Amino acid sequence: MSGRRSRQSSNTPRITDDQIIDLVSKLHQFLPEIRNTRRSNKASANKVLQETCNYIRNLHKEVDDLSERLSQLLSSIDADSPEAAIIRSLI
Amino acid sequence: MKARMQMSSSVVKQEFFKKWIKGMQIYSAFNKEMTIMERKRAIKLSADVAIASTRSATTQWSRAVVADVSTSAAGAARAAAEEILGRKLPERKALATTCSKKIVRRSHQRRSKAAARGVVRSSAAIAKKLVRNRTRVLKRLVPGGKKLDEISLIKETLDYIACLQVQVDVMRHLAAAAESLDHQQISF
Repeated sequence: MSGRRSRQSSNTPRITDDQIIDLVSKLHQFLPEIRNTRRSNKASANKVLQETCNYIRNLHKEVDDLSERLSQLLSSIDADSPEAAIIRSLI
Repeated sequence: MKARMQMSSSVVKQEFFKKWIKGMQIYSAFNKEMTIMERKRAIKLSADVAIASTRSATTQWSRAVVADVSTSAAGAARAAAEEILGRKLPERKALATTCSKKIVRRSHQRRSKAAARGVVRSSAAIAKKLVRNRTRVLKRLVPGGKKLDEISLIKETLDYIACLQVQVDVMRHLAAAAESLDHQQISF
């Protein structure tokens, strides 16, 4: 180990494959559509990680799109109507 | 990690919504006539700081979001963030990331040299490599993920995704409300 920069301190216990698999299966519950029937754990971990990354990217894009949509909507609302005044006063 | 994960999501939604609105109002106070792009930025930054603030620094990702805003935001953005967080942000510091970028670049070069040597890998090794690459991508997607070990990264990811879902849900509802208002006005 000499000369090599290790990411963890020597006091941290080694992460077991089981722990990774357990946490990855928790990620499962958040992913809207992943039908995983593969037996291989590494393959399923890979699939779940991939779906997770895609899902996060989609959520990021949605936040961006919604921000843009809201910006357009809020600027086009006529400030004279009373209901619009409520929404308009938000921003 | 604390039991905040079990907290009712509607409570989190309300907290997020209030803070988000507060942030946007600060922007409006700075600038009455924003362009669409400026308003979009106001909406997005307020939303990002607001959702991070619902975790009140108990997670790495929320701390990373706040740290990022601390270094890059100025003027209305900074004021909005401070209002949402309820405290002053630390002074802006120069980013010290150039050093770590070089290290990452060097280690990347090391990996491709192994491939250039024509090393034949077993399928298990390939699977392991795929997982490692995907983990690297995930580290980039989750704020503050780069310095986390695998276990912490996945825990952070779980929390981060839950919060992103809250953020998107509330934003969708406001957009739907604003949109139905828009349609009502057209029909009159």
